[in-house]
Amino acid sequence: MDFVGKRFWFFIISLLIIAPGIVFLILAPGLRPGIDFTGGSSMTLRFSDESNINQQEVRDQLTTLGYQEATVQNLGENSFFIRTKELNEEDKDNLVTNMTTSLDEGAENVLQGFDLVSPVVAQETVMNALWAILAAAVGIFIYIWWAFRNVPSPFRYGLAAIVALIHDTIIVIGIFAILGELMQTEVNTMFLIALLTVIGYSVNDTIVVFDRIRENVLIYSNRPFPEIVNLSISETIGRSLNTSFTLVITLIALILFGGATIREFLFVLLIGVVAGTYSSIAIASQVLVSWDQRSIGIPFRNKTIT
Amino acid sequence: MRRNARALITIALLITICAGIVGFQNINIRNFNRGGDTPLGLSLGLDLQGGSHLVYETNLTDPTSGEKQEISREQMQSLSHTIERRINSSGLGEPIIQILGEDRLLVQLPGIKDPGRAKTLIGETARLEFRHRTLNAAPQPVESIKPENIKSITVDELREDGKLLSELDSEDKNSQSQTLTSFPAVIVEFDETGLENFEQLFFNLALSFEKAAAAVAAGDYDSPADQINVTIDGVEELRFTTLANSIRRLEDTPRYGIAFPSDETGMEGIITKEDAEKKLGKSPKIEFAVKKGYLDEEIGLSGDDLKTAYAGQHQASGLPIVNIEFDDRGTRIFGELTTDIYVKQEETGIRDQIAIILDGQELISPRVNAPITAGTAIIEGGDFTMTRVKDLALLLESGRLPVPIELIQERDVDAILGADSLRKSVIAGFIGLALVLIFMTLYYRVPGLVASAALIIYAVIVLAVFKIIPVTLTLSGVAAAILSIGMAVDANILIFERMKDELRGGRTMLSAVNIGFNRAWPAIRDSNVSTLITCAILYWFSDQLGATVVQGFAVTLVIGVGISMFSAIVVSRTIMRVVALSPLSRNINLFIPTGAKNIGNRESV
Repeated sequence: MDFVGKRFWFFIISLLIIAPGIVFLILAPGLRPGIDFTGGSSMTLRFSDESNINQQEVRDQLTTLGYQEATVQNLGENSFFIRTKELNEEDKDNLVTNMTTSLDEGAENVLQGFDLVSPVVAQETVMNALWAILAAAVGIFIYIWWAFRNVPSPFRYGLAAIVALIHDTIIVIGIFAILGELMQTEVNTMFLIALLTVIGYSVNDTIVVFDRIRENVLIYSNRPFPEIVNLSISETIGRSLNTSFTLVITLIALILFGGATIREFLFVLLIGVVAGTYSSIAIASQVLVSWDQRSIGIPFRNKTIT
Repeated sequence: MRRNARALITIALLITICAGIVGFQNINIRNFNRGGDTPLGLSLGLDLQGGSHLVYETNLTDPTSGEKQEISREQMQSLSHTIERRINSSGLGEPIIQILGEDRLLVQLPGIKDPGRAKTLIGETARLEFRHRTLNAAPQPVESIKPENIKSITVDELREDGKLLSELDSEDKNSQSQTLTSFPAVIVEFDETGLENFEQLFFNLALSFEKAAAAVAAGDYDSPADQINVTIDGVEELRFTTLANSIRRLEDTPRYGIAFPSDETGMEGIITKEDAEKKLGKSPKIEFAVKKGYLDEEIGLSGDDLKTAYAGQHQASGLPIVNIEFDDRGTRIFGELTTDIYVKQEETGIRDQIAIILDGQELISPRVNAPITAGTAIIEGGDFTMTRVKDLALLLESGRLPVPIELIQERDVDAILGADSLRKSVIAGFIGLALVLIFMTLYYRVPGLVASAALIIYAVIVLAVFKIIPVTLTLSGVAAAILSIGMAVDANILIFERMKDELRGGRTMLSAVNIGFNRAWPAIRDSNVSTLITCAILYWFSDQLGATVVQGFAVTLVIGVGISMFSAIVVSRTIMRVVALSPLSRNINLFIPTGAKNIGNRESV
């Protein structure tokens, strides 16, 4: 199969996938930040099995209590995720007691979880997250540069892996911007962890393809580079698809049977695994080829043009 | 072959040990204790067992200038000790307290039912006080019980079970009179107000009696119990002093019996019932006074006046001591206090003490050997150990500078939700693992089966390592563990794809296995190292924040990745070598994946 020849198609497909996400990101509200990023309180209320309360009733009751700005998300199984401004112990108790007596008299153990994040911590979280992602990218770039030191232009491999990584990150963030608009899905610390895991996986997958290129470049040093890349992709595609297939089935099992608490986290991983597999073949390797092709015939000192 | 046999035995041994670790609920070898009543004895995080996760930020400002001050490591430690002590003594369970960065404290309360109360306890600032403890306090008349509150005063024989001999029914008399002793006692009948007030008085006496008994049991004879002074104004004055243990409430009546002392210490001579009745006369009056066993007088010396407190050793004897230093004001008050106590000691022989009280609880009450006017003192004690003096110094420090704290992050998870999440994750994990095993075996055939065995071994080793370290398993940790299964699968897939290439190239089974593993190694190494880099960054990121969720994920993933490399490179390889040498290897079709025969064939290029 000719993968390399179709590289412009791959780039266009990626752009088409990324575009809607970017549109949602740029147009307000973009990503919907959870309390981990803004500060505030959130809680999970679980009403009794026979209560049959809908989201609107919960919302109305919160408005009656003076929490107009509160957001409500239905988690299923009579559970609701409620986000409010920062609540102190007294406010919290009042809210829970009031919601219980007015919506589901006599229910016990309604408050299943409570979170509070002060604005100070929230601001730090955002900064730390940005630094963490940047640090991860730099660390990986340097490692790849070093690991591919025996082939010509090892620098390119590092940079191509980073391009693929950014590609995957943008896809995930874009999809969450869309979900935030459609389903009020919020991003929180768990989302960040998931994003970092996706970065790890994306690079993991890219390295496997690059490893084959590294090997083949040394074996078939007289063949043209695009041909070597194509050969390497052909040789590794079985493994790439099988690995992501096993991960995808594991993740789907977790999403279907695991608790609601980490469902969003797993969903990020699912998107990330698919995007990561695609980008290692369609982005990372193709960036190497494009870069190589345009360098041909250009004097060495101008090699920095990409 | 011999090499394979040796490797196989080592692997089998390792699996047996790991399976044993996972299988036994509790492991106790000398000081090494693991396990508990959780599934497989693994240690569970708050999101799986329920509990509270609280992050506090300290906010230390200079009392004079109002500027924000740097907080020292020692202050953070003493703060953490204070919180730990308060929660432990409240019976709310055992907190896990961790210092985050420079000025933050993470308090985890596993399984707690009432996070509100814990938060109140944590929020209080510690208060340290030095008080003058007088041992020969003057009796204080009890004003709350007035003559009109007393209805009658009589004398009777009071039995130790709170019954009067004169009122026993005959049956009771016969059965028990042999074993229970009785004493002559004054019997006072109260009205409603009087009864209530005397009850309170009796309660305080009894409390002090118990405390003193406990102190004596601990070797401290300097904290005597409170006493009651009884003065009866009858035909002749009857006056005695006694302790809570000689007072009884007469069952179901508004009467109390107070036994006359049975030795010479409480009054002059021993009195009989008849003598007492004679002295009492027709219309006696009674007055009570309480003589405190010791009296703590506030002298305006508090933790604010303490400059520092630290553990040390006595210069001459080398015994552990606590050094304390006061500031100018403290030096002056402490100087006056020690001088007063010393002078009284010289004049009267009564040895007063300095009571050091933290959060209303007595830390220690040392005596005074000499007036101390220089502002530095040492506290020594016969039973002091290095640990004890260190603890004391930390406690003193915690009260010296009460550090205000502010709650900046809270995460409460209900135990039911936690248990639910755990159950679901375990089920999902099993389903996921089963699906992977089925896929691997169907697609890769014999190598797939080998990989499946390696995966199960991998899972057992991971669980064993989690239990031994122990790694606190959180929901995100479970996710990481399952993700690392994916990575373990990946390593195996990489190897089999390489092996397949070599088999196509016409190599023998054994050399295909060996070369396949060697060729796959750089890819496995580099991809896993990149994951480890991400984990290291995650760990750093979470350490900054106290995000234990993130930390759990990173730690779990690192362990998972490490063991997955081991399982693919050592376990799978050894088993594959053995399989390659077995008769199975003659049928090459069992080793080439289904549906992949035309992909990746090097000869086709």
